[in-house]
Amino acid sequence: MVHAGTAAPAIEVIDLKKTYRGGIEAVKGISFQVEKGEIFGFLGPNGAGKSTTIMMLTTLIKPTGGRAAVDGFDVVKEAYRVRTRLGYVSQDLAVDDNLTGRENLILQAHFYHIPRSQLKARIDEVLELVGLRERCDDRVEFYSGGMRKRLDIACGLIHRPSILFLDEPTLGLDIQTRHEIWRYIEKLRSENKMTIFLTTHYMDEADALCDRIAIIDRGVIKAIDAPSALKDQLGGDVIFFRFSDGSGDAAAATMAALRELPGVKEISQHGEEKVVVARNGDLLLPQIFEAAQKNGARIESVTLKRPTLDDVYLAHTGRALREGAGGKEEFRRQRMAMRRARR
Amino acid sequence: MRAERYGLEEIRAGLRLSDIYWVCWRELKKFFGQRTRILMAVIQPLIWLLFLGNSLTGLTRNPFASQMLGVDNYLVYMTPGIMVMTSLFGGIFGGLSVVWDRHFGYLNKLLAAPISRAAIPMGKMLAAAIQSVIQVTIITIIATILGVRFACGPAGFLLIVAIVFLFSFGVSGISISLGAVIRSQETLMAIVNFLTMPLMFASNAMFPLEAMPAWLQTIARWNPLSYAVTPLRELVGQGLWSATIGKGLLAMFIFAAIMSLVASRQFRRSIA
Ligand SMILES: Nc1ncnc2c1ncn2[C@@H]1O[C@H](COP(=O)(O)OP(=O)(O)OP(=O)(O)O)[C@@H](O)[C@H]1O
Ligand SMILES: [Mg+2]
Repeated sequence: MVHAGTAAPAIEVIDLKKTYRGGIEAVKGISFQVEKGEIFGFLGPNGAGKSTTIMMLTTLIKPTGGRAAVDGFDVVKEAYRVRTRLGYVSQDLAVDDNLTGRENLILQAHFYHIPRSQLKARIDEVLELVGLRERCDDRVEFYSGGMRKRLDIACGLIHRPSILFLDEPTLGLDIQTRHEIWRYIEKLRSENKMTIFLTTHYMDEADALCDRIAIIDRGVIKAIDAPSALKDQLGGDVIFFRFSDGSGDAAAATMAALRELPGVKEISQHGEEKVVVARNGDLLLPQIFEAAQKNGARIESVTLKRPTLDDVYLAHTGRALREGAGGKEEFRRQRMAMRRARR
Repeated sequence: MRAERYGLEEIRAGLRLSDIYWVCWRELKKFFGQRTRILMAVIQPLIWLLFLGNSLTGLTRNPFASQMLGVDNYLVYMTPGIMVMTSLFGGIFGGLSVVWDRHFGYLNKLLAAPISRAAIPMGKMLAAAIQSVIQVTIITIIATILGVRFACGPAGFLLIVAIVFLFSFGVSGISISLGAVIRSQETLMAIVNFLTMPLMFASNAMFPLEAMPAWLQTIARWNPLSYAVTPLRELVGQGLWSATIGKGLLAMFIFAAIMSLVASRQFRRSIA
């Protein structure tokens, strides 16, 4: 790579491709950059190629085209260097059931060659972060799903990686645990200046956590930007309102006045319902009431709708992300339960 | 240029014994954490010894058979065979742990860590070998209690341990190499079972070569199992100073070395 070391972006991906044996094109030439200290999210449905991308970046599989660098080091030619720099928490809850939480961390620490003198302090530090201090000497077999995930994240942090890869970090967890995990992630970024690359198919997660997101669908990146910018690109907020019966001319005058207000982009009418598309809809609402009052019209009802990432997703892929999401989660929970019941 | 330097770094990391040690530590921790597995490790050889010892001692009352076996106590003949069979079973299922680790995502965790990929099979092979040594020690104790006198003495026991260690190390290497490419537990089990029976019966582990038809003798002579059984049998039956012991040790050493290379290559190649 041209620029290694401090000047390099945390992750640099250029026309990266992966075609699996058997011909499935999981990733079809994607390019993006992640800056140091950024939380970057990959948002996409089942089979979009999220895990495949993460596995290429963490040197677990080889790309079939293009190139990628992590911390300035090529993921193929300098795979060993890359491995020393990254933390990887897979989507599989990859903790060893037969060991205790602490033993899992001891192993992980040794695989990352942490000096013996620092071992205990490091382990206590990550246990503290994920709140597993009290249960760390129990066998993982007896952990709940959320505890396993937290332990797995702790494993990924033990060597204080500069870049952390989280593949669906909150998949199948309850709301409370999900929010807790969001808290850790934010803390890691703010206190440790860690760069975080995560994948998710939860809109709210991408929205709440990520500085920037890439929407990926069928191996192609459809859009990359800050969540707010992506929403803005849709045109802005939408205000629906109705006048009281008999507003007549006053209503027409009000509508004319609205056209002149700053930020208004589009006005349309569906029967009795008036639709205004505008930037900063929240600021526009009082102005609409003012205009109505001035012209002697009365407004009966009003609704402000801000675009969600769902709308963004729909606009870019032509499909709603939520379709099938519940079913998938269900399936995964079942699979996990089956795994745990193997003995 | 830098790429070459860091390539070297990875090769240097390949020599890091601590990585092998910690992979092995995990396997042994699992082994000792499961009481049923430990119990099986003790009970299995006990049953073999008691069952075969009692049901087949009649053989040695027949002077012809006794001459063919080379001993006048069938247990003396069987003990080395049981030792080798126990290590065969101990090692041949080693690949299952690779399949499991892949299934639960732990393998990816290992592969994403800055350890040499060769450390993964080597650590698992080491663990299998250590387990076999433990089992063989148990067999030795039980056999002694049942009246088998080890002609080789305590020094010879160390040679027995060395042979068993290398044999089991190599056998688990076969299984682990298969586990690196076979993703389903069922398929691996089928292949392993398919391998085990012929390996066992086409060897001198249970019956002397002289009792076999010529074609089977030919196979048995090339069977790695026989290479382990023959020197063990001489150690137990004849004593420390026998010509085939050095040959057997060398054969086991070469077997273990080849399987280390094959298994390491499998992990560097097919998984990356
Ligand atoms: N080892 C493999 N061999 C062949 N095809 C694969 C392999 N792994 C994944 N695929 C295929 O590649 C595509 C992308 O899969 P990937 O796991 O990257 O998706 P994902 O975005 O992570 O989905 P999910 O949300 O389900 O985890 C899918 O069509 C999948 O079937
Ligand atoms: Mg995935």
